[in-house]
Amino acid sequence: MSMQNIEMREALRQAIDEEMTRDANVFILGEEVAQYNGAYKVTKGLLAKYGEKRVIDTPISELSFAGIAVGAAMTGLRPIVEFMSFNFSYLATDQIINTAAKMHYMSGGRFSVPIVFRGPNGAAAQVACTHSQSLEALYANFPGLIVIAPSNAYDGKGLLKSAIRNPNPVIFLEHELIYGDRMDIPTEEYLVPIGKANIVTRGTDITIVSWSRTMKMCKAAQEELAKQGISVELIDARTIKPLDLDTIATSVQKTHFCLVVEEGHAFAGIGAEVGFEIQDTCFDALDAPVARVCQLETPMPYSKILEAESLPNVARIIKAAHNTLSR
Amino acid sequence: MTDFYPSNSDAIIRSLGRERLTAILQKMLLIRHFELRAEAAYQQGHIGGFFHSYVGQEAIQTAACEVIDHTNWFATSYRCHALALLLGATPDALMAELFGKESGNAHGRGGSMHMFSDHMLGGFGIVSNQISAAAGAAFSAKYRGTKEISVCFLGDGAMAQGTFHETLNLSSLWSLPCLFVVENNEWGMGTHVSRAVANSEQFSGLLAKAYNIESMKLDGMDFFNCYGGFEEAYKKVRTSGRPFVIECLTERFKGHSISDPGLYRTKEDLKRCMERDPIPLLKNTLVAKGIITEADYEAIDKACRERVLASLKFADESPFPGLKTLGTGVYVEEGP
Repeated sequence: MSMQNIEMREALRQAIDEEMTRDANVFILGEEVAQYNGAYKVTKGLLAKYGEKRVIDTPISELSFAGIAVGAAMTGLRPIVEFMSFNFSYLATDQIINTAAKMHYMSGGRFSVPIVFRGPNGAAAQVACTHSQSLEALYANFPGLIVIAPSNAYDGKGLLKSAIRNPNPVIFLEHELIYGDRMDIPTEEYLVPIGKANIVTRGTDITIVSWSRTMKMCKAAQEELAKQGISVELIDARTIKPLDLDTIATSVQKTHFCLVVEEGHAFAGIGAEVGFEIQDTCFDALDAPVARVCQLETPMPYSKILEAESLPNVARIIKAAHNTLSR
Repeated sequence: MTDFYPSNSDAIIRSLGRERLTAILQKMLLIRHFELRAEAAYQQGHIGGFFHSYVGQEAIQTAACEVIDHTNWFATSYRCHALALLLGATPDALMAELFGKESGNAHGRGGSMHMFSDHMLGGFGIVSNQISAAAGAAFSAKYRGTKEISVCFLGDGAMAQGTFHETLNLSSLWSLPCLFVVENNEWGMGTHVSRAVANSEQFSGLLAKAYNIESMKLDGMDFFNCYGGFEEAYKKVRTSGRPFVIECLTERFKGHSISDPGLYRTKEDLKRCMERDPIPLLKNTLVAKGIITEADYEAIDKACRERVLASLKFADESPFPGLKTLGTGVYVEEGP
């Protein structure tokens, strides 16, 4: 298999490019996606290749360009909506939640909304509280939405292609701080299935579950813990909804310990959901309560030192693993 | 005096002819009977939730659906029973939906505020929710190079929502063939339009002009004025591929919803506006012109009443959805 070493942003770009070539009904719109080549360059070169009919700059009107995309999806097209930051998707929630998520059910199956809302989610570097939010727990709360949060270029490309082909509305959460991460991925076309977690490292002592950027911290923690003689089974959830509980539960049945690492807040977060499901399905197998490392319960502060303190980090993950294992 | 689009009733009557005019009157009466009977069924406990009646406004959507071919796209607010009826949903399917039955328009999932047909995107439950989605249907048509336009009905209350402004801007910037029809019944629930929208009497026209969109005002109680205006606007949207704004001045004879006793307007005001009931206005014109007789009208009225009574029977006798189907349709299950 021939390989290419590319950044996450390029992998995502290739996914959009390949799907636009494959299906003439796929188009992309959003702020600065066309002439500016994307605020984070995910759409670089697409305007030159596909023209302004299919790569469309919008004014700063999130609610209405999202709604136009939803209406286009209801009438046969397959829009990709880029939010320059998922923080801006709040403006569009009426269309995402009230129309896209509910339309198929509410219309008795008459209309579907095959659409992808994508863009960077989570904390970047010192952009403070309005620009640092993790929205997976918010969107995963609504039946009708699929929520995906890849951690690397391979998954990013394969999952975005699957998302574009999916007949349902998909929230596709990228991360600004990993757009530049490089990885060897196949040059040939491939898909990554939605709803399948990935076991990144096999282990026997504790299961650690995460997704998106915090997977990097978990990998570093896993390597450090290995040196200390603790064998971590590290799982990248990849898809938040539908969550691959089978893979997580099978792992916990084996390791008897579980730690969830989430960049977002603890309260009513994805970690709370995973923890609940694990106590529900693995109650007898657990040798300690399910543990969480999350963002602390404050709006994100600007100051570098406070921001770092608020977010999960390798040291907190290692400490939480020790606490859970009591060793 | 509002400057309405100068339609020519006599020319419209000549062009439509007796058969179509009779059918139009029948459609308006079917809506009227449907709404009144459904309201009664609500009060008897057969129907729940919110229920927004179209009584008083029938001339507008009836005229629009008479002019504009049903292969175009349509969307409206939660006051949506009439549009679904006009676009081919049967009284049976709509009444069964109100009753929450499996045979309903959305299999009991949508209810009064969320009704559909193959080219009616909704029935949108949130004020202004339909506006950008309707523009999206116009976007689709333009993208594919097909000739449909999109027709978006909204109330006067939605004029104050930001998405109306955003969507007019985008529709003009992108030249989307979308006809926005503001049905100004003067009341956003209990708040008069003059308390909700600045410069309300001139608002829609000036707003459209700001976005370089043509507009007109129509007398929403006068079927012929609506018909003439929609004919002109439909032609303009189709030939120019550009958006267009119509404001229809109208009156709803009922409360905002079934639970609204309408205490904000006096009985005298309501009586005065009901003097311009669009159905008698149309009927009296047709009788005066010798196109139909009183007896013809009685026969149509009776047939509509019976049709709606049959739909009540159908809805009542239809089974509720199976409890095992509760989770069906949350996601589209078939592959792409």
